[in-house]
Amino acid sequence: MHTDLFRGEAALTCGHVDVPTDLIAQPDVVMLDLVADSREAALRALHAELARSPAVTDAERFLRDMLERVMVASVCVAPDVALPHARTTAVERIVLGVARLAAPGVGFDGEHPSVRLMFMIGTPKEQVGAYLQLVAGISRLLRTEGARAGLLAAGTEAEFRARLARGAAT
Amino acid sequence: MKAVTDPAALLLQRLLRLLRWRLWIQEKLQPTDWQITLLWAALAGFLGALVSLLFSVFAEGIHELLTGRNSGVVETMRQLPWWARVVVPAVGGLLAGLTLLFGKRLTRRESSTDYMEAIVIGSGRLPVRSSLVKSTAALFSIGSGGSIGREGPMVQLAAVVASLVGRWRKFTPPQLRLLVACGAAAGIASAYNAPIAGSFFVAEIILGTIAMESLGPLAVSAVVAALTVRVLTNAQQLYQVPAFKLGSPWEMGPYIVLGLIAGTLAPWFLRSLRRAEQWFVATTMPPIGRLVLGGLIVGTIAVFYPEVCGNGYSGVVGILNGRIVWFLLVAIMLAKWLATAASFGSGAPGGVFTPSLFMGASAGYLFGTAVHSFWPAGAADPQAFALVGMGAFLSAATYAPVMAVILLFEMTLSYDIILPLMLCNVIAYYTAKGVQGESLYSEALRRKAAETPAPALPMGNVQDLMKGDPPNVIATARFAEVARMFLSVRVNNIYVTGAESRFVGAVSLHDIKPFLGDPDLAGLVIASDIMREDFPRIGPRQSLSEALGAFLGQSFERLPVVEPESGRLIGSLSKSDLLLALVEKRQKTGA
Repeated sequence: MHTDLFRGEAALTCGHVDVPTDLIAQPDVVMLDLVADSREAALRALHAELARSPAVTDAERFLRDMLERVMVASVCVAPDVALPHARTTAVERIVLGVARLAAPGVGFDGEHPSVRLMFMIGTPKEQVGAYLQLVAGISRLLRTEGARAGLLAAGTEAEFRARLARGAAT
Repeated sequence: MKAVTDPAALLLQRLLRLLRWRLWIQEKLQPTDWQITLLWAALAGFLGALVSLLFSVFAEGIHELLTGRNSGVVETMRQLPWWARVVVPAVGGLLAGLTLLFGKRLTRRESSTDYMEAIVIGSGRLPVRSSLVKSTAALFSIGSGGSIGREGPMVQLAAVVASLVGRWRKFTPPQLRLLVACGAAAGIASAYNAPIAGSFFVAEIILGTIAMESLGPLAVSAVVAALTVRVLTNAQQLYQVPAFKLGSPWEMGPYIVLGLIAGTLAPWFLRSLRRAEQWFVATTMPPIGRLVLGGLIVGTIAVFYPEVCGNGYSGVVGILNGRIVWFLLVAIMLAKWLATAASFGSGAPGGVFTPSLFMGASAGYLFGTAVHSFWPAGAADPQAFALVGMGAFLSAATYAPVMAVILLFEMTLSYDIILPLMLCNVIAYYTAKGVQGESLYSEALRRKAAETPAPALPMGNVQDLMKGDPPNVIATARFAEVARMFLSVRVNNIYVTGAESRFVGAVSLHDIKPFLGDPDLAGLVIASDIMREDFPRIGPRQSLSEALGAFLGQSFERLPVVEPESGRLIGSLSKSDLLLALVEKRQKTGA
């Protein structure tokens, strides 16, 4: 959680402080009950949707950078939540795709055998602050009481988006 | 929200909180590299004062051991029977010689670098053992009544301590040289209780510049040293003198003549010391024999004039307070000249700074007395001429007129004499330069520089200045590790390396500080997620001008040094080191 001490500086650092919050509320892509039998299949499926965004200028490169990042170190923030991300030259702005995987989910690594929520992020290389703000925002949202359970229980995409928006606003 | 109970998570939270506070303090106080340098300068000043005091205590102890008396050197010599006056300095010479002889075994692999060389033509590294051996030998020379000053070894020891501190902190050569200079300033400030003169002594004589980059740390070091001495010894100004003032403007005429006299005498004095040195060497006696002979000469003179013993301090006090009649002073001055030449020429370790003050005071007093006897209004107070003569002689001997004015003022706190003092010092300085092209110190330095096969200066390129092993993390290092690194080292950017230590970017504290309180990032984000890949870098063989160009327009205090062929991170270059080196370089090339 940000402290008051640095909150003002965060705005100065990122230059566009509302972008990550807006993005969490309105992600580029939402996929519900995605069925995949492996981590890579899940990543590729969400990527394929996200790559349709005009902000993604090089889909192949984005996928390569993201898979490389996933291979290097864990991208999970909770037992059932993963944030696959990449800072890449393949996007013009920050892009966010959210997927809810069908139960029982997929295993990302030994410590995270059944991931149900995926937040895929692509960030331009120069936007370090905005990237951190987005990741911190998603983490904060998931720590909010009932938010994760609400996302898992949402019946429709509209309901899912509404819960995301509500979580981002808190 | 759930309370965190995991000990590792708690530790992490505490770590991040600590880092946030440290950053807050850092931002509010904003200590720059220069300010940090001032802190090290203060430490050098404090330690320099302590070793100077320790040296004085030991010198007095040796004096008591050799003579059985604990009064001043001159007073003791007066009390001793004639044969003891001859024997004591000779024994002192013998002990000094033996110390140097046996000390050679300990210092076989060390250079004989003194602090001036280390600052001007060296890397700032002073040999500890050979400095200790020399200082121990100096204790015997000084304690036995040799006509030599104690300020030389005191300054050397203070500089050695500063050099050790700098080496311990792995300072770069320019930083180390500056810290050694701070130690030297502390030594002078301690010896003469004169902090301003201590700073200017080093700035004017050794560094040859009064640029704030160097003068600031020198001043801090000298002030701390003087304060330490005052607190520990209750010291006041060195010379308690009556209030001197300019009697009438007509006195300026004789003062001008005094400047000419001092400017002529000082080079003769220095030349005579070097001649004496050559004479002793020409005797083909071993060093130990020369030192004994030098002691015997001083002792023999002391049979008739015990005032020649020691550095001349008590003689100066006597002259300034009118306690020595002129015809006796003529004899003492000549005897002191001879005794100092014998001590210096025989190789007795010590300084000739204070003996120079004695020569100046004597010359000034004798000249003032002569003028007074023919034209009382031209020299109302011959003692004032003694004071001005001290400054003028020092100015002519050291080629440092500003330092001489300040030192005289600080040593006597006699401000009213400042006008003739300034004028006389400047005239003496120009006269001496006309008579002889080199000062007390420049000749020795020139000789040493010629002997040094590869002087550390001038700095050619980046690799001469860079510091190895800069703070870095591997690309996969977790956010928590990066935060921990920022906590342990005071830098604004931590370099990120990939395979085979290749430089791949840098994590900026500025980028991550708003997120330090977020524990979720600690385990999720890695260094490569948040590094700046376009971080500027510099090659080890690039010139200092190119390095300066790389810093222009950037707010970084350091740049990574990267091998162009392999991309390997091999060090970092600090902006303050670069600026310091460029100032030094400009000074050396006389640009």
